[in-house]
Amino acid sequence: MDAVIEVNDLVKEYIVTKKESGLRGALKGLLFPEKKTVRGVDGITFSIAQGEIVGYIGPNGAGKSTTIKMLTGILHPTSGSIKVCGISPQADRKSVVRKLGVVFGQRTQLYWDLRLGESFELLRRIYQIDKETYEDNLSILTDVLKLHEFIHTPVRQLSLGQRMRGDIAAAMLHSPSILFLDEPTIGLDADAKHAIRLFIKEINQKRGVTVILTTHDLDDVEQLCSRLVVVNHGKVVEDGPMASLIHKLAPHRLLVVELQHPFSDLSHPLAEIIKQDGLKIWYQFEKDRISAAQLISELSQKLPIQDLSVKEPNIEDAIREVYKAT
Amino acid sequence: MGSSIRHYFSVAACFARLAIQRQLEYPLFLFSWLLMIPIQYFSGIWMLKIIVDRFQPLNGWDFPELTFLYGLGLISHGIFVVFFINTWQIDRMVIEGAFDRLLLRPMNVFFQLIASYINFIGLIDCIPGIIIFIYGCQLVGFEWTFLNIIKLLLVLLGGVMIRAALFISLGTIAFWTKRNASMVGFTLAMLERGTMYPISIYPYAIQVLFTFILPIGFISFYPAAEFLNKSSEAFQLPLSFALATPVIGFACFFLSQWIFRFGMKSYESAGS
Repeated sequence: MDAVIEVNDLVKEYIVTKKESGLRGALKGLLFPEKKTVRGVDGITFSIAQGEIVGYIGPNGAGKSTTIKMLTGILHPTSGSIKVCGISPQADRKSVVRKLGVVFGQRTQLYWDLRLGESFELLRRIYQIDKETYEDNLSILTDVLKLHEFIHTPVRQLSLGQRMRGDIAAAMLHSPSILFLDEPTIGLDADAKHAIRLFIKEINQKRGVTVILTTHDLDDVEQLCSRLVVVNHGKVVEDGPMASLIHKLAPHRLLVVELQHPFSDLSHPLAEIIKQDGLKIWYQFEKDRISAAQLISELSQKLPIQDLSVKEPNIEDAIREVYKAT
Repeated sequence: MGSSIRHYFSVAACFARLAIQRQLEYPLFLFSWLLMIPIQYFSGIWMLKIIVDRFQPLNGWDFPELTFLYGLGLISHGIFVVFFINTWQIDRMVIEGAFDRLLLRPMNVFFQLIASYINFIGLIDCIPGIIIFIYGCQLVGFEWTFLNIIKLLLVLLGGVMIRAALFISLGTIAFWTKRNASMVGFTLAMLERGTMYPISIYPYAIQVLFTFILPIGFISFYPAAEFLNKSSEAFQLPLSFALATPVIGFACFFLSQWIFRFGMKSYESAGS
């Protein structure tokens, strides 16, 4: 598969002035500023193939937004190289942004005072979308995002969910081949989140749009992303398919057993008891060393088991592990 | 090239239509401007009259000449606020992320900055300016010959360019400082003082400043002196002043474009 985005050893440095507390600190900072260089993005390398949905995640301040802004040509990197569809966004911004759709969840590109449709009309002219393509795209977008309910409403009167759907539609009007979504579901209710996830899946499957998603909502990640790039302190700490990431970072599973009556010898050589509460016992085991079925059958031979359940580790556990480790 | 120009025109027309619609959304706000702006400018000319009547002509400039000068400056201010008012808001656009959005669209950033908000309310600024200027023309007996009209149009064009260049350069500072609203206010006040009174009343250092460094004198003072045949004022320049204004205007404007482009390279966006 061809790489549509190639990032090589990307670095972005900021010069920050050390701020001290209080008036004295402020004066001192003014007269004798202590400047230091901070690496917001510290040598990031990855490549993304056409048609992938990649979750770009990390804690606040990890360098996610800065990376997105460099990929889209807003910021110039301190060093390193970026190629989007083979072109550097810094060298030829206009050619690159023509192929991009960008949604910043916390900001809108729609005109606050005007009907949603007016903003679309402007974008039609900016991107020189011919009438036919425009009508086509708009009708598809209207269908999936249910824009018809509010396309004639002034943007200031839209709910957050409606506004976000409007913003996503605005980013897709010119049929971009790459879509950047920066926290597209922030603050939305379950319904709106569902609609947006459905839409992302659809454009990815039907049009082969490459999607780069930053989010703190791990449901987004779980339902959408085939691949995760996890960053922390400006560095890529994990990069790979979600399943293998979970397996690597959270290899443990839990078996919860409820007994009929108290029993003295609960131990098993391959499973560790991590919690016990009355008749309920939590065993932690590694699925590489013993399968759930085997563990259950061995335990049931000696224990009077009433009920049991197996818990899979989820993405949240995995991510927490990553953040903790770095 | 032709299609590119058509593209930019079509976008500019759409921007303009949306700007009118946005401004008409708030009729009371429009009305308050309609009330306030004429009061501000007509009281300005009234003050000039009082000063001249009570004391003496300002460094050889009597009331009719001052009216001509003030009117000329006001018209270029009016045209400026119609087309370039967005240069006052660059800092806000940087902080709110609107500037990021300009960079995400496949068009020239400066064009988008200017075209995205044609301030039709600014036409209200032009009306008192035109009235005061025509009144001044009558008082001084300005001759409406073809040549004079051409000169006048060139002077206005140059004056608008000089003003635009100042605020573009100032706006570029917001790429680094993230804030410059107070500087915009200060520059506006300086422009008013530099275009309303003959700069020859100021100390020598200020005259140098307003001629060579911030060429505010070329917005109204030098051309008015030329039109009114006032000599031995401030500096003697070889060119006819009326023609110097558009030349200086274009030079400043291109310089400010260069500054703007340089500033964009170190644009750091804001927040997340």
